Amino acid sequence: MKKSVVFALLTLFSTQVLAAVNIVTTTSSMGMLSRTVGAELVKVTELAPPDRDIHTLQVRPSMLQALRNAQLVVSIGAELEQGWLSPAIEGAANPKILPNSQGYFEAAAQVSLIDSKLNADRSQGDVHPLGNPHIQLDPIRMADVALALAERLAKLDPKNASRYRQNAQQFKADVHAKMPQWQKLAANSAGVLLYHKDATYLLARFNIPLLGYIEPLAGIPPSASHLLGLVKQYKGKKGVILHTIYQGHAGIAQLAQQLSWSHIALALEPANNDNQQAYFMLIEQWLNAANK
Amino acid sequence: MNKLSAISIGLLLVQSAYAENNTMLSAASQFNPSISLILDGNYYHDNKKGAAGEYLEEIAGISHTVHDAHAHGGHGLEQGFNLGESELVISAVIDPYFDGKLTLAIDGEGTTELEEAWLQTRMIPAGFKVKMGKFLSDIGYLNNQHPHTWDFADQNLAYSSLLGEHGLMDTGIQLTWLAPTPFYALFGLEALQGSNQECFGALVDEELAHETIDEANMLGSFSEHRAGPRINTVFAKFAPDLGTNHALQWGLSYAQAKQYQQLLDEDETAHSGDELALNGKQTLIGTDIVYKWDSAGQYGQGDFKVIAEYLKLKKDMLVVASGVGVDTDADSVLDEFPLAIASQVTGTQDAYSLQASYGIAPRWQIAVRHDATGNTNELNEAGNPVSFKDSSRNSIAVSFYASEFSRLRLQASQADLADETGKVEKVNQVFLQYTHSLGQHGAHKF
Repeated sequence: MKKSVVFALLTLFSTQVLAAVNIVTTTSSMGMLSRTVGAELVKVTELAPPDRDIHTLQVRPSMLQALRNAQLVVSIGAELEQGWLSPAIEGAANPKILPNSQGYFEAAAQVSLIDSKLNADRSQGDVHPLGNPHIQLDPIRMADVALALAERLAKLDPKNASRYRQNAQQFKADVHAKMPQWQKLAANSAGVLLYHKDATYLLARFNIPLLGYIEPLAGIPPSASHLLGLVKQYKGKKGVILHTIYQGHAGIAQLAQQLSWSHIALALEPANNDNQQAYFMLIEQWLNAANK
Repeated sequence: MNKLSAISIGLLLVQSAYAENNTMLSAASQFNPSISLILDGNYYHDNKKGAAGEYLEEIAGISHTVHDAHAHGGHGLEQGFNLGESELVISAVIDPYFDGKLTLAIDGEGTTELEEAWLQTRMIPAGFKVKMGKFLSDIGYLNNQHPHTWDFADQNLAYSSLLGEHGLMDTGIQLTWLAPTPFYALFGLEALQGSNQECFGALVDEELAHETIDEANMLGSFSEHRAGPRINTVFAKFAPDLGTNHALQWGLSYAQAKQYQQLLDEDETAHSGDELALNGKQTLIGTDIVYKWDSAGQYGQGDFKVIAEYLKLKKDMLVVASGVGVDTDADSVLDEFPLAIASQVTGTQDAYSLQASYGIAPRWQIAVRHDATGNTNELNEAGNPVSFKDSSRNSIAVSFYASEFSRLRLQASQADLADETGKVEKVNQVFLQYTHSLGQHGAHKF
């Protein structure tokens, strides 16, 4: 009797382990991508809520617990999450997911980055010398990341390799099928003023004029004189201010009022545990907002 | 030995699977270590003409001992400008099997102190990690935090009175295990040499003992230092998963100093005949609770944190050497005698720190702290109970983060500090502190 209970428990435990590749992602966009590529072959845990500045998130013990059992970590990368992901991985005592190992995946390392500054210093704010890491709103780059992620999953779980590749190709095809419609949405935008460099890739992808940034330097909130400078620069011109939901600086509304522009707060990430459809809706939301 | 062989087998068995393609973007060169430097300084004022530090050292408690005047010269804050500890941190991945880190603290006079120099394993599976070298013990919550990450300019009273200004920091080995439970559960063991202690597990320097007690007129003999490791610790930390906004952690700690020595000289005059040397053991139990609320506000606005930590220290000592006695009325007959050889001296002292911080606006943080020591503060000297008063302090600190890398802080503290005679002194302190970090982007543990 005892033996069979132990056996039953063991099989339960082992089937659970074998059932799915255990993926932990930093953001919900990386979670969406992992679920799209992995489908029912993976189990995905997202660490960050979509309404937070991913850059300044704090470590929680539950992150360490999730990472302890992970087979793969999927992050945006290029040092965006390093303030909390590095200590979380260090504390997780899991050799499988250490940086540079097969269980560690950075999306930003799979695509070309803009704004890389190898001679950067911090007088330029909290710059990322490797380039702007906020690639998640560029669907084309995300499709490339999906292909790379499929290759990584193929290595971790070779017998399902073709499934992963197929799913990633499907995502890429879906993105390309959507592109003409998205390009149409973006065509009439007069230009966008961003708070931070977090939607830069989206604007570049759809040829939307990027007017500038409200933050004088990355990670430094605008002063009154900087805002006044922006008012002078854009007075009488057309445009819209787009910022993320966690960027609540009072200067944004003041600036919008002075310029008689609208200012729109948008999520940078789909909701937790959302799917490809939700991600596509998010892209559409940004493109619609850019036209206002 | 078993532990060591298990570790080496673990190291041999684990095959590292490394990805071939570019998997990680890092601004730090792959082979050069990451370097960061913390610069710290303050403008300081107190109502004791700069002597507040001495009052803090004289707080009534069970851990007093004769200090080496030479070793402690120039310690403490001066009124006016003070350069704090500049901290140089160098860390790197050594090879597939080890990480390494070194923290060097340089004080205002250029004296360097090695705070941490350790190796930690990377490849042991099943949630185990081994750290060796010199490191900050993981007992308690605040013990492993470096001064630049504190929410206040100074060490809390619980730590400074029971563990010393640096907390428990020593050379040894640590084993931790992160359990495969649905909630966070970390268990750890440490064996520490006990060679670098101010209070817990402190030993008396033999030369200082000879300078204090007249060897020609001494009863008993000084006890030898035991072979190390002399300090053992056990700790556990538990944290439920409360979603993405809240984090709660509960910790339990136990530490044992297998040898502890004290040198007592009540009249503060060496060779006067009233001196005592004590040898024995200490134990420390502690519990801590941390709660953090991570708000959606930017630049730390709305973030909230509470830390409560309680420590209880016990000692069990025997008098091993003493002066022969004092002639108080100059009639050439000794009439007052220190405790007899082999008398037992036991003591219990507890202390706590309660602190909270809140992001009042983007880049602005306010923090308050109430810390106290000696609510229980009892000695039993050869059957005679002695009880001391407690000391407590209230502090408030306002910090401004110009960026993630620089901070200015204004802190005011008001303390009621009791000494062993029962006199309570009101001590007020004000700090205006800067703390700036250069180099690698800061990453902080929970």
